[in-house]
Amino acid sequence: MTQAESILVIGAGIAGMKASLMLAGPARKVYLVERLPIIGGKTIKNEESFPNMECSTCMVAPIQQAVLQNPHIETLTYSAVESIEGSAGDFSVSVRIKARYVSLEACIGCGMCFEVCPVTLPNEWEESLIEKKAIYVPCSGSLPNVPVIDSERCLKLNGTEECNLCVESCAFEAINLEDEDRLLELKVGALILATGSETFDLSALPGLGYGALPGVYSPMEFERLFASNGPTMGEITLRGSGAVPDRVAIVHCAGREEQGYCSGICCMYSFKFVRFLKHKLPDVQVFNIHSDVCVPGKNYEDFFRSVNGGDTEMLFTSSIADVHVSGTDSGLRVAYPDGGGVTADLEVDMVILAAAIIPAPLTARLAELAGVELDDSGFIRTSLDGSGSMETSRAGIFTAGTVEGPKDIQSTVIQAESAAGQVAFLMSSMADLTERDPSGKSVKS
Amino acid sequence: MSETGTGKTEMTARVGVYLCECGPNIAGKIDLDKVMADILSESDRYRNVELVIRRYGFLCSGPGKQYLEDEIKENGLTHLVVAACSPRDHDSTFMGVCARTDLNPYLYRIVNIREQCSWVITDPEEATERAATYIRGSISRVLRQSSLFEKPLEINPDAVVIGGGAAGMEAALALSSDLRRVFLVEKSASLGGGCGITMPQEKAVIEDPNVDIYLETQMSSVIGFLGNFEIGLKSADGKDEEITAGAIILAIGSDYSDPQESGRISFSESDEVHILAEAERTLEAAGDLKLRDGTMPETIAVVHCVGREEQGYCSGVCCSSSLKLAAAIRRLSPETAVTSVYRDLCLPGADGENVLRMARESGVELIRTKGTSLSGMELDLEKMDGTSEKRSFDMIIPAAAIVPAADTVSLAEMLRIPLDEHGFFKEAHRMTDPAGTTTEGVFIAGTAHGPMSVMSSMRFARACAGQVLTRLVPGERIVPEVKVTEILEAYCTGCGNCLDVCVYGAIYADTDRGISVVNEAVCRGCGNCFASCPSGALRTRHFTNEQIFREVDEALR
Amino acid sequence: MAAVLPVGSDLSGAMNRFLKTILEKDIVDAVLMPMKVPSGDSFAWIIMSDSSIVDDAEAMAPVMPVQGARALRSLTRKGEGSIRVLALMRPCEIRAAIELSKLGQVKTENLILAAYDCPGAVPMDSFVSDPSSGEDLFRKMLAGEDVSAGEVKPSCTSCVEFSMTDADLHFGHFGLGGTEVLLIPGSPKGMEILEALELPADRETSIWDEAVRKRREKQVASRDAAFEETGENIRGVQGMLNVFADCISCRNCRAACPICYCRLCHFESETAKQDPNSRLDSAVTRGGISLPADRMLFHTGRMTHMSLSCVSCGQCSDACPADIPVAQVFSFVADRTQKAFEYSAGRNDGDPLPLRSFMKSELSGIHEMVSDAEPGGHAHE
Repeated sequence: MTQAESILVIGAGIAGMKASLMLAGPARKVYLVERLPIIGGKTIKNEESFPNMECSTCMVAPIQQAVLQNPHIETLTYSAVESIEGSAGDFSVSVRIKARYVSLEACIGCGMCFEVCPVTLPNEWEESLIEKKAIYVPCSGSLPNVPVIDSERCLKLNGTEECNLCVESCAFEAINLEDEDRLLELKVGALILATGSETFDLSALPGLGYGALPGVYSPMEFERLFASNGPTMGEITLRGSGAVPDRVAIVHCAGREEQGYCSGICCMYSFKFVRFLKHKLPDVQVFNIHSDVCVPGKNYEDFFRSVNGGDTEMLFTSSIADVHVSGTDSGLRVAYPDGGGVTADLEVDMVILAAAIIPAPLTARLAELAGVELDDSGFIRTSLDGSGSMETSRAGIFTAGTVEGPKDIQSTVIQAESAAGQVAFLMSSMADLTERDPSGKSVKS
Repeated sequence: MSETGTGKTEMTARVGVYLCECGPNIAGKIDLDKVMADILSESDRYRNVELVIRRYGFLCSGPGKQYLEDEIKENGLTHLVVAACSPRDHDSTFMGVCARTDLNPYLYRIVNIREQCSWVITDPEEATERAATYIRGSISRVLRQSSLFEKPLEINPDAVVIGGGAAGMEAALALSSDLRRVFLVEKSASLGGGCGITMPQEKAVIEDPNVDIYLETQMSSVIGFLGNFEIGLKSADGKDEEITAGAIILAIGSDYSDPQESGRISFSESDEVHILAEAERTLEAAGDLKLRDGTMPETIAVVHCVGREEQGYCSGVCCSSSLKLAAAIRRLSPETAVTSVYRDLCLPGADGENVLRMARESGVELIRTKGTSLSGMELDLEKMDGTSEKRSFDMIIPAAAIVPAADTVSLAEMLRIPLDEHGFFKEAHRMTDPAGTTTEGVFIAGTAHGPMSVMSSMRFARACAGQVLTRLVPGERIVPEVKVTEILEAYCTGCGNCLDVCVYGAIYADTDRGISVVNEAVCRGCGNCFASCPSGALRTRHFTNEQIFREVDEALR
Repeated sequence: MAAVLPVGSDLSGAMNRFLKTILEKDIVDAVLMPMKVPSGDSFAWIIMSDSSIVDDAEAMAPVMPVQGARALRSLTRKGEGSIRVLALMRPCEIRAAIELSKLGQVKTENLILAAYDCPGAVPMDSFVSDPSSGEDLFRKMLAGEDVSAGEVKPSCTSCVEFSMTDADLHFGHFGLGGTEVLLIPGSPKGMEILEALELPADRETSIWDEAVRKRREKQVASRDAAFEETGENIRGVQGMLNVFADCISCRNCRAACPICYCRLCHFESETAKQDPNSRLDSAVTRGGISLPADRMLFHTGRMTHMSLSCVSCGQCSDACPADIPVAQVFSFVADRTQKAFEYSAGRNDGDPLPLRSFMKSELSGIHEMVSDAEPGGHAHE
């Protein structure tokens, strides 16, 4: 296989996986690089996806399996791209495959090693709501279901002591503490950047109390709180007290002003949270403090209507920037200017902040490596000619999903399919070049 | 090897049963030797069957797969049962092993004695008994399975695009090359569609030697499946033509709702009420918006969200178009006061924010209301503080909702694809296959799918193109599903149950013979029809009643 | 509103005359109605194009030997044919025909389905043994006189659909004292017949409505009582086993059923035939089993296949040589399954068969592609 027939996809979320599956085939090999030890991306952190409230892991698991089982896709988890050189049709990429210390081939994911590991550390994948061991998989149902060892925290690897408990616990001899990083040099014809996004850092909005008040949650924290494979096994209980909330306020547009754009999906995930809450706690009272309801497209208004009125009270505020959350003896107080501009108070015991979608911290670094332009918000710039093209400012490098801007799953998949199509077109036209006769006229098949 | 050979070697089936220990995962709980002994002790239940039953450490490992391959060959196995883990993990692994031997992969069966047995049953004795039961059921089933063979089909890589608007033209350009022709079929006399402005791709499409443009032409018939469609075209002057292609992209666009349908808005023809799309076109063509008497309006109101309530969705693009238009009017005729009346501002993305800033900077007055009604030229504004205000304007521009094009229904019927609850073409899966339909090879682009911006329309078009480019590769063949349903004509009463439950449009009625017929190239073996048939006239290969019942019988005995 | 047909002395005769007229005037090409067999102890379906034969026929027969829908199926299974036929039948027969038309077994394009206010039927066995008392009994039933419940077909005593206005044409006579019959059109086809005869549909139907309402009240009460009894009898697996204990597996119930339309019943197919070991295993596991096995499976299987279309005509009970109350059980179950799907078998209201149409709510949790696809284009919310 020549480089013109290989493709590198960076990021194994739904966009990267979809694009890989479309492109992989007898004539094209796909390298799928993922920073985390597991594939699946942000979608699998959501128990259910709007608007159908479909089980996200059930929706994504077949795609994950198809990726892992596809003989034409080489999935490189726990890996990072270190350099990208060359031009369309002829890129050289070096990828660092970080030492995992657990064999992907030998391990069957039985989990015996976690139990014996003496080191506990926060599980960041679970928004640090629970802990994990130094040898861990991020969550149950991880794919590949093979743990990884945190080399900085492992007692043996960081030189603290001669602990060998995990190795001894493994019946499959799958753990090798001598494992080392590997560098892989790849020749590829095209790249797709699909590394996703982050949510707005809510600690930058002190008036909303995130970080200071335990009852104030980020959207990802709440997603994990509801997840049946999450830290509370899906029980919605308050941080600290463990009590069940009676009154919940969802504050929309957190970070919109600061970012300078509406992310277009926060209203929908906020209404999804209403469903989550009413599903688990039928008597809970939910309030949505909002200024605009942004539910574009043919599917979303129905969903909004299904919660509006019955399941949640929509409270209009004339200025999101003036919403203030403070602690009280019994819980939380949300003060907001109402439709007439008069300050209203709302007593609740839980607040969820609908945070904006922002570029992931590593996006700028990736753009630099790939030599592609970012837009003013820090997302990867596409469609420079206004044609909807997923090509970046550098020929042969394409992008898809929320690394290009905030969007829902449907638009993410559409972009992945577009990018895959453009890569396929590029590849076939390059193959076609080699078939052209010397006169320069193309030969029709 | 079993010692129960009957001597009738020619008739004898040789069933290999391989139990994977999966380290302690299976062998740690289940007494595999006992399972093997129990099954062997009953081997006289199977007439003319020789059982080969073995255990192995890790069948999915490299050596394990090689072992299994050697065993199949050396023992001349006619059927294979692998008792291991979930089929999700390794069904394809062991089918792959079979494929390297003479054993047809459909004469093999995986039994899950890990996730559904050793991992979930705490009592080892019960788990052992259960494992034996599962395996017995599978032996019974595998003996009734039949060889199935893939039949790769030649494909036609060309594509038909219905609709010559932004989405249709973009799809055509994304697809056309020396390897692939595109037939661009447009109902009207010109390309461009409903955008109201000249699209930049128009010239490129016209000049593209690999795009055949059919103006004033409509699709009149279609038969076939992914890779092989025959499409009838009918032109306005009555000419018929038939073309063949591998895929169909529906990019027929959309219409606008009637602003008066709600009853909250009423005006007469003489009133200066012009819907947004019309106003955009006039402004683009004439450079200004004049009243019918030729004078410039002093006040204009653009009313957002007209039709949102009635249609049940937010079109998602009207806020942006409304504000763009308002700003453009202000820019072109600064003397005109422009007011934008909205309920929610739906302006996702940085572009949306820019539009809002532009509108504000150009001096557009923005009024948020809880609701607005219009009578003649007077707007009744219900304000956020609970008060209401009546205001008259010289011109009123309602932003009507995007609604399905009139042709949507007839095309959906022709292609046997469903419509969604709002009457747009229904995607195969809202999230994981948004451009596909339940009919493989038929894709949806642009506002035929639902309201969306021009940029999204073109992205959808490119996604459709992506499907075609990656699935219909010139020179490659496609392999249709082999586990499809067949109809036993002698049993079929032609009641049509199966026709109605087939989501893929794979079944049609043969009215002459009074029976239903399955198009196997379209069938995906979901089994809906099979379940709906009271006569047992349908049989889904690899999932026949006989196979399922005998497995259950054996497991429940 | 309805047209009026004067009766004179004989209700049945008046209807015969009407049918004769439409044949003579070429409004239809043939009429399908019952005629007494030569031995006089039963009736058969005769399709007649010669109006003179109508004199020998019987608009309303005391018995229901072959369910009329089966007669219609035998006529139109392979297509609607080129002639227009008016079929005069009991409401339960028309309802079965409508179900069969939804199942592609009866083609109604060239049929005019006509029904009449049905006073019930005389059980087949008692009629055969004494036809003249049977005819006397039926005359009393028609006249609305009280007869003892035991003399009437059991299904008829609890029938609440004895008068149907959504046949193409309905002959209403209840409550009119035998002096006239109302011709109530239920469809454009029915209207056309009246127009062709220049019979204006200008009569108020309130007296007839009231009579029908009163009778329905009575019938509903008796049906509810019957359901209560049946419900008790078939409670639990043991109850069902007891009720069907006498079954001799003759499968007459299936043969008489108008809805059972399969060419080859599943229970006669190869798939239903068991491996000997599986029977022996069951015998070993349970200590003993009765043979032929699957007797209950046959009844419950048939119930699964046809109870949504069951019109409670009672033919199955009539056909049972072991006197099992098959119809009462099926009717009880059908009432509940049809209610579960908000469906009423045999109505001409365009409601699709429940198993062919999906309600979104039924499919929550199933893969979206299937749940949102609307096969056949008729999903109801």
